[in-house]
Amino acid sequence: MGTVPQDELYMRATAEFGPALARLARAYEADASQRLDLLQDIHFALWRSFSSFAGQCSLRTWVYRVAHNVGISRRRKRSDLINLEELAEMSAEDSPEETVHASRALSRLQDLIRRLRPPDDQVMLLYLEDTDAASIGDITGLSARAVATRIHRIKQLLSLHFRQGESP
Amino acid sequence: MSDIKTVWQTQTTEETDMISLAEIRSRATRLKNWVLWRNLALYVYSIANIAVTAWLISTGQHKAYMRYEAPGLLLVAAHLFVIWQLWWRTSLRALPGDLMGRAALDYLRHQLERQRDALSSAWLWYIAPFMPGLIWEVWMRANLHPADIPPGYDHALVLYLVMAALFFWTSVGLAFSWAAARLDVRLEQLNTLKAE
Repeated sequence: MGTVPQDELYMRATAEFGPALARLARAYEADASQRLDLLQDIHFALWRSFSSFAGQCSLRTWVYRVAHNVGISRRRKRSDLINLEELAEMSAEDSPEETVHASRALSRLQDLIRRLRPPDDQVMLLYLEDTDAASIGDITGLSARAVATRIHRIKQLLSLHFRQGESP
Repeated sequence: MSDIKTVWQTQTTEETDMISLAEIRSRATRLKNWVLWRNLALYVYSIANIAVTAWLISTGQHKAYMRYEAPGLLLVAAHLFVIWQLWWRTSLRALPGDLMGRAALDYLRHQLERQRDALSSAWLWYIAPFMPGLIWEVWMRANLHPADIPPGYDHALVLYLVMAALFFWTSVGLAFSWAAARLDVRLEQLNTLKAE
């Protein structure tokens, strides 16, 4: 594949998934400069990856795989990350946040994701992006059953932390 | 009414959604240059070692204390072998092109296995090549007994050389083995995840 299709694919991918990639970077990095650095790493990896993209999967799956793999590379040496079950146990006493207070809810949500270890953080992010269970399996490599179990736990965790609020 | 998914998807992000192709290309060039300089530093280090050995052999310096020729040449060969191994193992070309587009668990497994294999075989490609030259050199030094060095001091010096070499190379070997064992634990965790 020459450089023109690679550039075109990159333009298409970022036009379609750019905001989702920015949200992923915000979820992983609280610090603004680290966040921008991660986002640039993701975009660079994405552009490079398109030289070997030959329609093995959908563009959406490819983009999320690359983005999450860059995220894994950054986070895999951290030893303070926990899984969904441990997070649910730790946060059982927290009072739920009204989702109507969007910025507070968002801040708590990002904090939860940052404490999760892969692949639980990835499943949570993909669930929030409204990705279906089969695609989550394709992106993470988890079995359908493992994805379903995690989504169930994520829903429980979210219901512990957030209460759906009426707009004022 | 707003649910948490809506809150997530409608958040505002100050980062630009698209990074320009010019910026991407300049990053690619920077990466290429970084790899080039890193490899160059490795080559310079090894070439410096080779040059010093060649100088010792060609000028006969320190010949009174060490007969450097044969073990020196073995150490030069070891350096060349390690340069080739480092180049081969760190080369970007050694990575499969579609690696970044693989499912996360497969990607992580590939990365961990690659590192584990490099570490667990490090004694073979990083430590063993230096051993023949090093052992030969120390053995020659131990049997040299220079006339101008008192025997007690000479024995102590040889013992120090042997102990220092043993300590250094054992530490290197143990550090590699410990890191490889840690990666094995991570790989076992990945296998459990995959089997769920």
